[in-house]
Amino acid sequence: MRANLHSLIVWTNETGEANLQSALNRGEAMLRFILSRLAMAIPTVVLVSVTVFALIRFIPGDPAALMLGDMAQPDQIAAMRVELGLDRSMPQQFLIWAGDVLRGDFGRSIVNDEAVLPLVVSRFLVSAEIVVVAVLLASLIAVPAGVIAAWRQNSLTDLALVGTATVLLSIPTFWLGLLLLLLFGLKLGWLPVLGYVSISDNLVDGLLYLVLPVVTLVIHEAGVLIRMARASTLEVLRLDYITHARAKGLSEGAVLWRHAFKNAFGPTWTMIGLILGNLLGGIAVIETVFTIPGLGRLMVDSIFARDYPVIQGCLLFVALSYVLVNLVIDLLYPLFDPRVVAE
Amino acid sequence: MKTLLLAGTALLAMTGIATARDITVAQSSDLRSNNPGVNRDGNTDSVILHIVEGLVGYNNVGEVKPLLAESFEMSADGLTYTFKLRSDVKFHNGKAMTADDVVWNWTRYLKPETKWTCLKDFVEGGAAPVTGVKAIDASTVEITLAKPSAVFLGMMSRPECGFTGIISSESLGADGSFVQPIGTGPFMWDEWKKGEYVHLKKFADYVSPENEGKPDGMVGSKRPLADGVKFMVIPDASTVKAGLESGVLDTAEISPDLIPEFQASETMQLIVARNNGKNLFYIQTRDKVLSNPGVRRAMAMALDLDELVAAASNGTGEANGSMVSQDSVFFSDTQKKRLPYDVEAAKKELADAGYNGEPISIIANKRGNVPSFPAAVMAQAMMQQAGLNVQIEVLDYATQVDRRRSGNYQVISQSVAPRLDPALMYSFYVGDKDKNASLMWDDPKAIELMNAAYAEADQARRQKIFDEFHGAHAEGNAGDIPLRHGRCLGRDQEIEGPARLAVERPPLGSVSRRLIHHSRAGGDPRRRPFHHS
Repeated sequence: MRANLHSLIVWTNETGEANLQSALNRGEAMLRFILSRLAMAIPTVVLVSVTVFALIRFIPGDPAALMLGDMAQPDQIAAMRVELGLDRSMPQQFLIWAGDVLRGDFGRSIVNDEAVLPLVVSRFLVSAEIVVVAVLLASLIAVPAGVIAAWRQNSLTDLALVGTATVLLSIPTFWLGLLLLLLFGLKLGWLPVLGYVSISDNLVDGLLYLVLPVVTLVIHEAGVLIRMARASTLEVLRLDYITHARAKGLSEGAVLWRHAFKNAFGPTWTMIGLILGNLLGGIAVIETVFTIPGLGRLMVDSIFARDYPVIQGCLLFVALSYVLVNLVIDLLYPLFDPRVVAE
Repeated sequence: MKTLLLAGTALLAMTGIATARDITVAQSSDLRSNNPGVNRDGNTDSVILHIVEGLVGYNNVGEVKPLLAESFEMSADGLTYTFKLRSDVKFHNGKAMTADDVVWNWTRYLKPETKWTCLKDFVEGGAAPVTGVKAIDASTVEITLAKPSAVFLGMMSRPECGFTGIISSESLGADGSFVQPIGTGPFMWDEWKKGEYVHLKKFADYVSPENEGKPDGMVGSKRPLADGVKFMVIPDASTVKAGLESGVLDTAEISPDLIPEFQASETMQLIVARNNGKNLFYIQTRDKVLSNPGVRRAMAMALDLDELVAAASNGTGEANGSMVSQDSVFFSDTQKKRLPYDVEAAKKELADAGYNGEPISIIANKRGNVPSFPAAVMAQAMMQQAGLNVQIEVLDYATQVDRRRSGNYQVISQSVAPRLDPALMYSFYVGDKDKNASLMWDDPKAIELMNAAYAEADQARRQKIFDEFHGAHAEGNAGDIPLRHGRCLGRDQEIEGPARLAVERPPLGSVSRRLIHHSRAGGDPRRRPFHHS
C-alpha cells in the first residue's frame, strides 16, 4: 500500500523533492526486503547445520578407524577419537562446532588437517567458475529458444525445439560428459582430456580446460530452461493484453519482445536462480569425470572418508550460497516484473 | 607403484635411451600429507616412497636388506642392532647423510608429538621397543631394544611407517612444524596442487644401491632417469581409461573388467604384476550360525578357490590358501595345503552340523580395483551349490570397516594390505576377540605361535612356526578364508625383467595389480620409461 502510494507520487509530482523522497522510500523498502530475506535464511541455515551434523554421525563409519588403517588397535582408535573430539556427546560436539563457526572457524579437516573454510572457498571458486559460465550460456541459448518455440507453438520449429530440450534434459550428465570427452578429447584431440588449469593461472589453457565441463552443463541445463521459457511465454501469449497489442497493429516482434517476454521471463529467471544455486552446491559428477578439483568432489571424497568438519563446512557453505543466490535473484526480479516491488 | 617407476627409469639407462621427461601416473585420491609415516594412506605411501628411504627395506622375496645402511648386525642377545651407513648418500638439499641424522630422525619418530603411525610398535609394550639410538661414529648407528624382536627390521621397512625414512632436519621449519620431506630418494618434492596433482622432480645426485645394477624391491638398483613424476588425482575409472588412451597418462591402475580391451589394444600395454596384498573372507566365529566349525569348513570346501580367483581377477589371479605370501621365503610346500574343493563333502558337513538353510550374509564393497564384490558374487554362487543360503550386502568401505571392527557381521569380503613378514600378517587376525572385536582367530595355540614368531629370529625355526600355523589354519578353524592374489606377467618387447611388487599399498591390495603403460602406435618408443622390478 505504502509502495503504491509512493509510486503514485512519482507519477504525479514532478518536483525533485518528491523524486528524492520516493527514491529514499524505495531504498528503505528494498533494505527491509533484503533484511527480511536474510532473516528468513537464518532458520534455513540452522536447520541445515543441525540436520547435516546429526545425519553424518548417524552414518556408520569411524573417521578415526579410517585414518589409522587396518593395523590400528582399539586403544589407538579410542585415543584418536579423543584427539578429534569424537568422544564427546553429539550435542556437545555440535555446540563446540557451532560456536567455532560463529567465530568464523569452520575447523580443520580430519583427513589432512587443512583449515576447512579456505579449503571450501578455494574449491567453491573452481566450481563457480564452471557453473556461472555454464548457466549464463545456457540461459542465453535457452531463453530465446523457449520464446521462439512458444511463439511458433505447434509448428515444426516448436516440435524440434521441445523435442531437443526433452532429449537434452534426459541425458545423464556423466554419460554426456564421457561422450564429449571421448569425441573432442580422444578422437578429435581438440580439447584436453583431463586435468585442470585455473583461468587465473593461464587464461587460454584455463578456458580450454573449461570447455568440456561447461558444454556438458550447458547442454543439460538448456533443456530445462527451454521448456520453462516456452511454458511461461505461452501463458503470457494467451492473455488479453497481448491480443490488444496485436489489435493495435504492433508487429509480432514488438509484441513478443516488448510485451510478452518481459512478463514471461519472471518464472524462467526464478528457475535460473534455482539451477544456479543447485549447481553451485556441487557438480560432483562433472568434476569427477573431468578431474576438476571443485566443491562437489571435495564433498564426495569427504563423505567417503567421514571427514566430518569438511562435510559440515561444505554443506553449510552450500546452504548459504543457495540462500544468497536466490536472494540476488529475488532482488533482480523487479527488473523484469515491477509489480513485485509494488507488492 | 614406486617400484615400477624407479625400475622403469632404470630400463632407460639399460637400453641407452637418453631422453627423459615427466612420467604421469594416475592416483585415485590425493595425498593425506607429505609427512612420511605420519598422516598416510596407500596413495600417500606410493608418493613418499619415491622421496625417502630407510636404513633397510624389503627385497622382492620379503627379506629385509640394507638400503641407506651398507650393512647391519644384530648382537648375539638380539638386543642391539648396529647399522653401518653408506658413505655416498646425500639428502636432496645436498648435505651428506650422517649417523647424527639417523639419531635425529629416530628421536623425532619416537616423540609422541610427531604422531608417527608406528610409534606403538617401537615403544614399551610394542613388538620392538627401542630403548636407545646413538651414533657410534659419523657412519655407525646403534639401536638397542628392550627385548629381542624378529620383526624389528621388517617393521622399520613397512610403508605404513613411512619406511622409517631418514629425512634432513631441514624438513622441519624453525618452529618445529613439518614443511616438506627432504629425503634421500631418487625424486625430490616439488609441487603439490591439492586435489589435482603432486609433482616430484629428479634428484640428480642420487646414488642408487649397487645390487649389481639389478632392481630388487625397495633395495635394488634404481636410478631417476625421468625428469620428474607427476601423480594426478583421477578418481573416475572411465577418465583414467581416456587419459591412458589419449597419452596424457603414462600409467595407471585399471579395473579387471578392462583387461580384455587393453590386451587387444595396439596402443596400450597391459602389465599384470602380483602383489602381496590379499582378499579375505572374514568369518564371524561368534555368529549363531558360523560359530559351528562344520559350517565354516563346509563354506571353505564349497569354494573352488582357483575358479573363484580366476573369475574375480578376470583370469589374472592365482589362488593361495595360506596367509604367507607366495613371494615370501617362508612360503613352503606346507603353505600350499588347503581344504579340498568338494561340494559333496561340504553338503555332508552341513548336514552333520545341523545347518537348516539359515541365511548367511557376505558384506562386500565396490571400491575400484579390489575384488571384494566379484569375489563375494563368486563365493555366493559356489556356496549356494553346496546348499548354503548366502546373500550379499554391499556397503561403502567406511561402513564395512566399521562393521568389521565392531564384530557386527557374518562374513566380510575385504582386501588387506600386504605384510611381508608372516608374523605381521597373523597378528592382523589372531588374538583375543574380547579385547579386539576385529580379530578372527581367538585360539590360545595360535596366539602362542604368533608370539613365538615375533620373538624368534632364526629363519629355520620361524619356518617351523609358520608351517605349524598353517596346519591349524588349513583345518578351517581360523575363521577366515584367504584368497591369495594372482600372478600374471605382461611383457613388452621394450620392457625387461619380471613384474613383481613386493610391497603394495592398501588400496592396491587386490587380486593383482594392473598397470597400463601407454605407448602410441608409431610413436616415440622413448615414451616407454617403465620397467618392473
